[in-house]
Amino acid sequence: PAPRASALLPAVPAVLKKRLVKLVVNFLFYFRTDEAEPIGALLLEHCKITKEEENVFSISFLEEPERKYCFECATEEQCQEWVEALKRASYEFLRRSLIFYRNEIQKMTGKDPLEQYGISEEARFQLGAHRQ
Amino acid sequence: MKLNERSVAHYATCNSPTDHAGFLRKRVERHHVHHHGTSYQRLWFVLKGNLLFYFEERESREPVGLVVLEGCTVELCEATEEFAFAIRFDDAGARAYVLVADGQAIMEAWVKALSRASFDYMRLVVRELEKQLEEACKSLAACHKSPRRSSSGKKRHLSNPALQPPQEKPTTLENGYSTWSSGGCVAGGAPCIDHDGGQTKPPPLPPRRRSATGSATGSPAPGLTPAMLENPMSPETICFSKLHSWYGQEIAVLRREWQERQKRGHP
Repeated sequence: PAPRASALLPAVPAVLKKRLVKLVVNFLFYFRTDEAEPIGALLLEHCKITKEEENVFSISFLEEPERKYCFECATEEQCQEWVEALKRASYEFLRRSLIFYRNEIQKMTGKDPLEQYGISEEARFQLGAHRQ
Repeated sequence: MKLNERSVAHYATCNSPTDHAGFLRKRVERHHVHHHGTSYQRLWFVLKGNLLFYFEERESREPVGLVVLEGCTVELCEATEEFAFAIRFDDAGARAYVLVADGQAIMEAWVKALSRASFDYMRLVVRELEKQLEEACKSLAACHKSPRRSSSGKKRHLSNPALQPPQEKPTTLENGYSTWSSGGCVAGGAPCIDHDGGQTKPPPLPPRRRSATGSATGSPAPGLTPAMLENPMSPETICFSKLHSWYGQEIAVLRREWQERQKRGHP
């Protein structure tokens, strides 16, 4: 997805800091608005994206569920876009999608779609209990 | 640069799928005005998705380093060591990682795994499969076969390419955390990544990258053209090289700080 900007507040309660936020693969980088280099990043694996009140969403992580990184967007639409994009932004999500599609295609066509890519035997693409 | 290092370390050591793991020796460069030295440090490497973590020991609780495998090439390299390969980035200022395996087969397995580890590669494959599934559905519908042919209770509508993957999906939803399946499906249904609408067209490829991609593992994917695979992400590589530098320089400090916080009973 295209890099997107939004005002946000990092996890310090009641403090709003304006940041430029960029989603790049499974990382969320944030910048002070004028700078080229990020001041921080969040790895988006094993995290939960939650829509909070209007214009606001939060990210929290598996091992520390009570700690929320809250982000306030300019509009509710932007907020929804962010939530949708972030939910799909993990490698684990992609992996599950791939396994799902592979399985569906195989059921419908009888053929393994990964064979043409030469990656059908890779362990990372196997359905959990069904394959060795 | 800040990073959610605790979550990163947790992800690195938890039981989420590991795509490859093993011992490798990593070249350590020492650059001084009067003295150059090269030595190798034996570390435990773990590949999860597009992240290559490395640990001092196999049992270490947190990694000492992390390489984000986006916008990089993996190539065999000329070195005094046998079975050496390198991870190199487009960003001119970014360091290369030279790694040495214990044997030919191990080296080849790593090069293969690392070459296909990027998020972008996965995304491409997923998009391809998504299209294939659409086409399979359409041709089934066109053949006037029973619309419920293989559904067995699924809510899939063959005429609708935007598939809903409800109960079929494994219970892990939302970025890999199963107990947080927030009341049902991922909102919006189809597990596809949105089109990179708005992403600027990548600049033409430097010749070096093409040949590197071709030679590294012998052409990653016959079905995918080189143009599809190339995704320079040059504005973003600055972010990743920053991550790499951060890890290289500050990890010892951060570990110490974290351990002190743990001792003080920080939650």
